[in-house]
Amino acid sequence: MRRRGRFPSQCAAALLCTCALTLAGCSDGDNSFDTQSQVGPNPNLPEPQQYLFPPMHLASVIGWKEGEKPTVPTGFKIEALATGLQHPRSLHVLPNGDILVVESKSPAVEPVTRPKEIVMHWIESQVTSGGGDTGPSNRITLLRDTNGDGKPETQSVFLDHLSSPFGVALVGSDLYVANTDSIMRYKYSEGDTKITEPGTPFLELPGGPIDHHWTKDLVANKDGSLLYVGVGSNSNAAEHGMEAEKNRAAIWEVDRASGRWRIFASGLRNPNGLTFEPQSGALWAVINERDELGPNLVPDYMTSVKDGAFYGWPYSYYGQHVDPRVKPQRPDLVQKAIAPDYALSSHVAPLGMTFYAADKFPEKYRGGAFVGEHGSWNRKQLNGYKVVFVPFRDGKPSGKAEDFVTGFVNDKDQARGRPVGVAVDKTGALLVADDVGNTVWRVTADTAPKVSSAGR
Amino acid sequence: MADQALRSDEALHSTAAIARHPIHPMLVPFPIACFVGTLLTDIAYWGTANIMWADFAAWLVSAGVILGLLAAIAGAIDFFSNRLIRAQASAWPHAIGNVVAMILAIINMFVHTHDGWTAVVPWGLALSAITVLILLFTGWMGGSLVYRHRVGVAP
Repeated sequence: MRRRGRFPSQCAAALLCTCALTLAGCSDGDNSFDTQSQVGPNPNLPEPQQYLFPPMHLASVIGWKEGEKPTVPTGFKIEALATGLQHPRSLHVLPNGDILVVESKSPAVEPVTRPKEIVMHWIESQVTSGGGDTGPSNRITLLRDTNGDGKPETQSVFLDHLSSPFGVALVGSDLYVANTDSIMRYKYSEGDTKITEPGTPFLELPGGPIDHHWTKDLVANKDGSLLYVGVGSNSNAAEHGMEAEKNRAAIWEVDRASGRWRIFASGLRNPNGLTFEPQSGALWAVINERDELGPNLVPDYMTSVKDGAFYGWPYSYYGQHVDPRVKPQRPDLVQKAIAPDYALSSHVAPLGMTFYAADKFPEKYRGGAFVGEHGSWNRKQLNGYKVVFVPFRDGKPSGKAEDFVTGFVNDKDQARGRPVGVAVDKTGALLVADDVGNTVWRVTADTAPKVSSAGR
Repeated sequence: MADQALRSDEALHSTAAIARHPIHPMLVPFPIACFVGTLLTDIAYWGTANIMWADFAAWLVSAGVILGLLAAIAGAIDFFSNRLIRAQASAWPHAIGNVVAMILAIINMFVHTHDGWTAVVPWGLALSAITVLILLFTGWMGGSLVYRHRVGVAP
């Protein structure tokens, strides 16, 4: 009467093994892929891959020990300009040489719409604000180094109680600060070390409740009549629906006199590092492209931003490469999507860019771009976590990106720091904001005079 | 004859039980409802591309997996602590089928973490449908165990 259950149990064992193998196979590594093939104007774009367990690897933050500092090429020197900051993310050099350090933290935790986000929030908290967080942020600190020796005589809180600020632009005596949800205008007089008058709201920007890509970068055009604002997307690939993406994933152009604005360019998933290329006068930006299509998709990029152009997000990337996750699709938009100018490799997370318009670095650096790559979290082998230099000629990239400031990650894949915003100070030195190292680094050329000839 | 039936009833007792109420049948409706809900919301997303349905499906499949694992623990305790239950004709198909359904549901939960369309179409939807089909079969087998063979039924 009793039946033996041997056959079914063997079946189950076999099935379990198959499943385990499938899972293991799916999370295969990316060791053989040459990330350098995704640096330059025509990146190698592999087929999209989706994973059961997406490859995730983030550098745990350990901070800088006494005496440790990043590595720079021979002929350069790097020193900390300021330490003990609170999550410094972007930098702005005022006309008198004072340096504004924007210290910023992400706004309130995004509302959870899927169980995945509970896990993701936890992971993100490990990447961006783990380690070194000791106090309140969301303020701007002023550094004044009058003699240019790299040791500021003044370090003062310039502006406090901001709302996840990022971009700063000065036009005449109007100082604009881009919070995550609005641009504020403040009165600034040369030499001020502290803004005392309350600001006036200038323009509302898309903020919460999701506010996924929250950094709003800001730059004024040459004559100061227009402001350009980077407004990142509210999702990775429109997974909160397109209603959540209204006026996002775009660069806005704002008329400073009237406050009227329009979308200058769109389809830019998370644009930052807005800067005018000195030779052509074109607006450039660095863009964080989408995740979870594999360790080698989609390469982040830098590009000149053309008026009225559509760069693909969320429907496609690098022109007409359609993202299978986005429905309903928009073939009409995909058709007009243009490819960006220069790929920086996948998941390097560029968040800052500046052109080297000074003359203290050797010839080849002049006119080129420095890009702060915050670093990857969703590929097995870390990518980014450095400042790269992209040579330019005639207003266009003219060669391979080179590592310029490295050593943010140690040989155990732990992050001492992560570079974000970059700027060139009055003495022609490169400044790098390190948001988990809570430091601003200053890179000088060995040949550069120790003391600024500006000599205020 | 009546004595024999009585003894057999006592022999087929459930180990994971509270005051002789077996826990496994108390828990199984929850994962079943979740997995059926996952299939329905997947179909709704497939039909409308409204992301709300994909979000619902992600919650349902995740809740189904957690509650299904709890039900599986209670079921496994009954199954492995009573040789006579294992000897029932329906017991093995019920157990194996549910193990397969849970493995597919766990895979489906990860598929549902994808962003947008590919969280559901085609693999999420297919896995949801196969899971529900398996549950129809294993649910029937579970019914045989209780209503025909009186597993866990008090004498």
